[in-house]
Amino acid sequence: MKKILLLALISTLTFASIRVDTTYAGFGAIAQKIGGDKVSVYVLGSSKYDPHFIVPKPSLLSKLRRAELLIINGGGLELGWLPPLISSANNAKIRNGGSGFLDISHSINMIDKPSSVSRAFGDVHAQGNPHYILDPYNVPLIAEAIESKLSSLDSDNADIYKKNLENFTKQWQIYLNKLDKKMLTCKDKKVIQYHELFNYFLNRYGFKNYADIEPLPGISPSSKHTLSVINTMRDKKVKIILQDVYHEKKTAKFIASKTDAKVELIPHDVGAVKSADTLENFYNTIADRICQ
Amino acid sequence: MKKTVTLSLLVFSCLYADTQLDEIKQQLKLQDIKIKSLEQQAQKRSSLNQSASFSQNAYLPDMALILNMSAVSRDVKNSEYENYSIPGFIKPKEAEIPFNKNRGFNLNYAEFAISSSVDPYFDVFAIFHLHPNEFEIEEAFVKTTSLPYSLSIKAGKFRSSFGRINSKHQHSWYFDTQPVIYEALFGPDAISDPGIQLQYLAPTDTYIMLGVEAMQGSNERSFGDTERNNLYIGYIKSSVDIGDELSILGGVSLAHGKNTTSNSTDIYGADITLREQLDSYSALIFQGEYLDRSKDLGDTTDRQAGLYGELIYQVNKNYSGGVRYDAIVKNDTTLPPHSDNLERYSAMIQYKPFEFSRLRLQYSNDKTKIINGERQDINEFILSLNIAAGAHGAHSY
Repeated sequence: MKKILLLALISTLTFASIRVDTTYAGFGAIAQKIGGDKVSVYVLGSSKYDPHFIVPKPSLLSKLRRAELLIINGGGLELGWLPPLISSANNAKIRNGGSGFLDISHSINMIDKPSSVSRAFGDVHAQGNPHYILDPYNVPLIAEAIESKLSSLDSDNADIYKKNLENFTKQWQIYLNKLDKKMLTCKDKKVIQYHELFNYFLNRYGFKNYADIEPLPGISPSSKHTLSVINTMRDKKVKIILQDVYHEKKTAKFIASKTDAKVELIPHDVGAVKSADTLENFYNTIADRICQ
Repeated sequence: MKKTVTLSLLVFSCLYADTQLDEIKQQLKLQDIKIKSLEQQAQKRSSLNQSASFSQNAYLPDMALILNMSAVSRDVKNSEYENYSIPGFIKPKEAEIPFNKNRGFNLNYAEFAISSSVDPYFDVFAIFHLHPNEFEIEEAFVKTTSLPYSLSIKAGKFRSSFGRINSKHQHSWYFDTQPVIYEALFGPDAISDPGIQLQYLAPTDTYIMLGVEAMQGSNERSFGDTERNNLYIGYIKSSVDIGDELSILGGVSLAHGKNTTSNSTDIYGADITLREQLDSYSALIFQGEYLDRSKDLGDTTDRQAGLYGELIYQVNKNYSGGVRYDAIVKNDTTLPPHSDNLERYSAMIQYKPFEFSRLRLQYSNDKTKIINGERQDINEFILSLNIAAGAHGAHSY
């Protein structure tokens, strides 16, 4: 009996997987692809919610306390909720500067960098637009960053991570070719959106965003601004409104009713809508809904 | 003759043009090289270190200014209000009223908050609290960042993590006034003292946090014997989630210290917070605490207790509203009457144009105070404006 217990203990020790916490679901999906069965992934922020405002529930502390790797989006996206959690988690590994802290934004070319920054402009991010997960071409870069971090944390399994990355990148190239072909068929490339959330996807496939429903980043719509959005849309003949899952939907509906436009609910991350259940389906859903 | 001349002219000019073309081509090539070298130089320049030789700008700490002001309407004269007492706790003229003291306008405080990493081992945090005629170090402490076994140590002057609201600054409360039991037992600064704190986070799936603190115990309302560090505090906090939306945080706390008669004071606290997240910007929050004090005065022992419960509805990013009941529910002292049934009802609505500014209108019906020997029924409106400018860290749960 004792032997069995001992064996069980040893086997759990040898197969102990690396605990990886990610702030958002997209990174979780990619980390799982690279880590395979060597990692157990926990996503801190639900895709139902605005990624800027995840509730810093104490239960997240018990996840962070035991994490060996914390993967964050960076670029200021977690500024409003993550720092106090990291500070209270009493885990040196996952602090900024610790061995298990990975800020993916350091591996990404960020767009929309403001030339000047002030809180008077609303919630602008000095480092640029942090919603880079929306560009499917950033996925291999994210995967690479995760692979290199995992390999340095767990050098015994570095070969496995490398192999996983190779396979994943290959598959992703094939997927991108398919996606690109699909996106070539889009006819109407004029859109507006609620928040500058989808810029990376829009830029990648040559869409033009004519207006934002919020007057400034993080500021709720005003009637004056809404009117100017309606006028712009009429002027430029914009017929597609990109709505995210977490902002109020009344303003978009109102604008749509005044402009004959269509409101499309676009996921901002894996799991934000039902059909976006995997990484590929996340981009597929965007493509299906945006491409008209 | 004419023909030959034209022809030779033509040939000549062609030849001449050819050599000219060659020259231009060569010049272009040369220019290409020049451009390339210039480009390289430019690239080099942009990656050159251009910072001032001894610049330390990149290491500046996060700094923020927090400003709190109010307009108050109250059916008691200022001169009478400042002499209020709470029987068994606060004697006339002993009340400290740092916030919203006067009818009319109040600048409650300007706070200067600084936080930074010190090095790989310590974080530092300080709040300088500036009242119109007073400079106060509200908090100034270091916190370890890299202790093993999920331990952390805080040292310096800090607000104790006793209970729920004790560690929170006034600007992060849901109401502008402090719950009466906190005011009665500790005063506006709550339990805040020089001391040391050790916290441990259990390696469980459920959040369980244990903490112990040793403090000087200078708060004279409940403690005050500072011949040596006489205040010891311990607490356990735990939290569970029910589904994605509902989170519950609860804690029990104990403070044991020595009061000004050199006898012991024991305070027990229990707190609970429930938060139901309705969507990204909307939530229903209940927070309640019960505090019980037994203060040994030598011949007699005062046994007193109080509680508060508040319900907040965050409608959206901009609006929220809430109600609160707070009261002293036990007041067994040697004092004459009017010492029971001390209670207050409050309601508030608040509007946040943006994350960093907040306007709040609060109404209270306050039956906790004795003025001129009579228990008063005070009606009070407070319209407050709070702003946080600069690099102000996010608030914890």
